[in-house]
Amino acid sequence: MSTASTGIKLQAAGVALGGRVILHPLTLDLSERRIGVLGRNGSGKTTLLRLIAGLIAPEQGIVRVEGFDPFVDRTAALAALGILFQNPDHQILFPTVEEELAFGLVQSGLPQSQALARAHAALAAEGRAHWAKVPVSTLSQGQRHYLCLLAVILMEPRTILLDEPLAGLDLPTQLRLARRFEVLPQRLITIAHDPTSLKGVDRVLWLEAGQIVADGPPDEIIPAFTAEMARIGARDADADLAD
Amino acid sequence: MLTLILPTDTALHRLPAGAKLAVLAGFGIAIGATSHLLLLAMAFALVWAAYLPLGFAEVARLPRRLWPLWPFVVVIGGWHLLRGTPEVGLAAILRMLAVFAAATLLLLTTRFDQLLAVFTTIMRPFSPLGLPVARIALALAMTVRFVPVLAARAEDLAFAWRARSPRKPRHRLLTPLALAALDEADHAAEALRARSASV
Repeated sequence: MSTASTGIKLQAAGVALGGRVILHPLTLDLSERRIGVLGRNGSGKTTLLRLIAGLIAPEQGIVRVEGFDPFVDRTAALAALGILFQNPDHQILFPTVEEELAFGLVQSGLPQSQALARAHAALAAEGRAHWAKVPVSTLSQGQRHYLCLLAVILMEPRTILLDEPLAGLDLPTQLRLARRFEVLPQRLITIAHDPTSLKGVDRVLWLEAGQIVADGPPDEIIPAFTAEMARIGARDADADLAD
Repeated sequence: MLTLILPTDTALHRLPAGAKLAVLAGFGIAIGATSHLLLLAMAFALVWAAYLPLGFAEVARLPRRLWPLWPFVVVIGGWHLLRGTPEVGLAAILRMLAVFAAATLLLLTTRFDQLLAVFTTIMRPFSPLGLPVARIALALAMTVRFVPVLAARAEDLAFAWRARSPRKPRHRLLTPLALAALDEADHAAEALRARSASV
């Protein structure tokens, strides 16, 4: 674990909320550049992402990102990891675009004026300079997603965690965002319930009821996942209650 | 009141926020110093005229913007009529309308972050005394962000109610709205943690 501490490692890390097990103890070593996590609603995907991001602590076991504990060492975690929430409205904290973009930079120690300058430069580089002063409430859903992504990219983390980044967006917006993800130099860990949004990943984890049921290259995992989903869908899907 | 800002760009928008706040403060002190009805009426007319750069539509809209003040007009006016001092009451009402019109004009032409910058500058001397200026500024900015968010949640809840009930929701939506506010607070706390080590 002390050598090559660039990846993300979980050692028997599990999460329980209110006495219910959400994630069974997982042992994982994530070092690929593009990783997908597939699973149905409620399979524990988002909890896994929050665990890696250090937003929650494991009930048991160990989580290490580049060798440190992301829950304890928040300063290191912010430099290493960015996370894009599934719902941009849960992520946006400020009334205008430029304030939202500048916030993370100010938190990492930049003076407000420099942070704003960086935010403006980033918007200009994306052809969105005219967004700077706009109230976030006037942006469309897709535009808010884009804003959240920009806010994460600005902090230059080495890994970006994406929680259903394309769900609920119209097709042109999906294509536009997917293209933006593709050229990101960062390691991306993408959560999805729809395998088509995991094009081009190096490795797929299939999560079911808080456990990894399969882990491997996409051309092996995705067909198996799709077939299983079709099989469940043909029966009375979604009737069982979590215990 | 928090997000009145008109999206159009006028000469008034381009004035520095600090200058506008100083003028507003000076104006408030000045009309507090006189009880001369004609002077007060002229002051109100002056503020109304200051709406001209925003266009005639905004000039015409001012009475509607001031309309929510009517209960105060009734109470103040009624009280002074009963006491037999109608001039004092009229002066108080004119002062109130003039100051509200001036403050509304400021909010219509000044972005919130500019007001916040003025606030931070003015409060900076107090920060060595232990006043958490940056945190207060953060809280104020987040308030501006979440007031419309909660308003939208309230509207969604009302729609969800109306979709299934012919009756008006009234107080029955207060509990879910309070829970929604707590839910928003949870998400905001998580978003803060995701991007800040210190908050």
